[in-house]
Amino acid sequence: MNEFNNRIAAQRQILQIVNRKRWKKEELLGLSSKAIERWVSVNQINPESRLVELIVTASGKLFFLANKSQEQISEEYKMISREIADISRTIELEIG
Amino acid sequence: MHIYGFGSICRGDISLGSDIDILAIVEGYDSRIDPNTFSIYSYKRIQELWREGNPFAWHLSLESRLLFSSDQLDYLKMLETPEKYKNCVRDCEKFFSLFREAHGSIIASSNSRVFDLSTMFLSIRNIATCFSLGATEQPDFSRNSALRLGVNSIPLALDSYHILERARILCTRGYGKNITDDEIDTTLRRLNEIHKWMYNLVEKAKEYERV
Repeated sequence: MNEFNNRIAAQRQILQIVNRKRWKKEELLGLSSKAIERWVSVNQINPESRLVELIVTASGKLFFLANKSQEQISEEYKMISREIADISRTIELEIG
Repeated sequence: MHIYGFGSICRGDISLGSDIDILAIVEGYDSRIDPNTFSIYSYKRIQELWREGNPFAWHLSLESRLLFSSDQLDYLKMLETPEKYKNCVRDCEKFFSLFREAHGSIIASSNSRVFDLSTMFLSIRNIATCFSLGATEQPDFSRNSALRLGVNSIPLALDSYHILERARILCTRGYGKNITDDEIDTTLRRLNEIHKWMYNLVEKAKEYERV
């Protein structure tokens, strides 16, 4: 699979983990900062919680990859992909 | 550093769901530039996109406006026209694949379905833009490029199209009324029509490339 579709798949994986939990009002709809802000606000989640921090970090890493040049990306992509996978597992533990 | 506006704000087709697309071209990491506000690219990456004839390079070349230049020069204008777009078939196949992944996911999973609808809208828009750039005389970078392909426009009922568009805006800009289960079910019943349309676009792109 190509990198663009991989990033979407990684976003989907994180969302599916977060949304296993039934949130008061609304699911987490996306990993953009605006979507995260909306989810935090409508569900009255503590914006400083560990879970929000992990989601924001994963979001930053995914969007960071989008603008990198091909030369930089090969090694960095692998490293950041591993980091995102680690964050996904940590989110899973946090969700319980 | 060079800063450009691009997208709907330059075309003038703004709406309540529109965001403001701003591109910052920089030498390296710059802590002043918020990645949530700017699309940040290095000069090197921009040059690569130009050489590839990448659709984003064409988008910038045809629909961007210089807002700031640290050297008083219009950097993108100096790059002249991007190379011819050569990857139309590959890109159309990529977005068809993205659609099929989202289709499979929305059927298999009971959560995050709005994200899958959003991904479908992304794939619809992008395949239409790539097709318009690679196989027609009228490249269209607008959000509704799939509705502007003439005989090749997406044959989807507008209510479903707008549900997909709303999902995209919800997932990217966190803006709008959430999608109801009924709206999801209505749209699900029509996904095969989109699948068929995308398949035909890929075949037409292949035919165009052969000619």
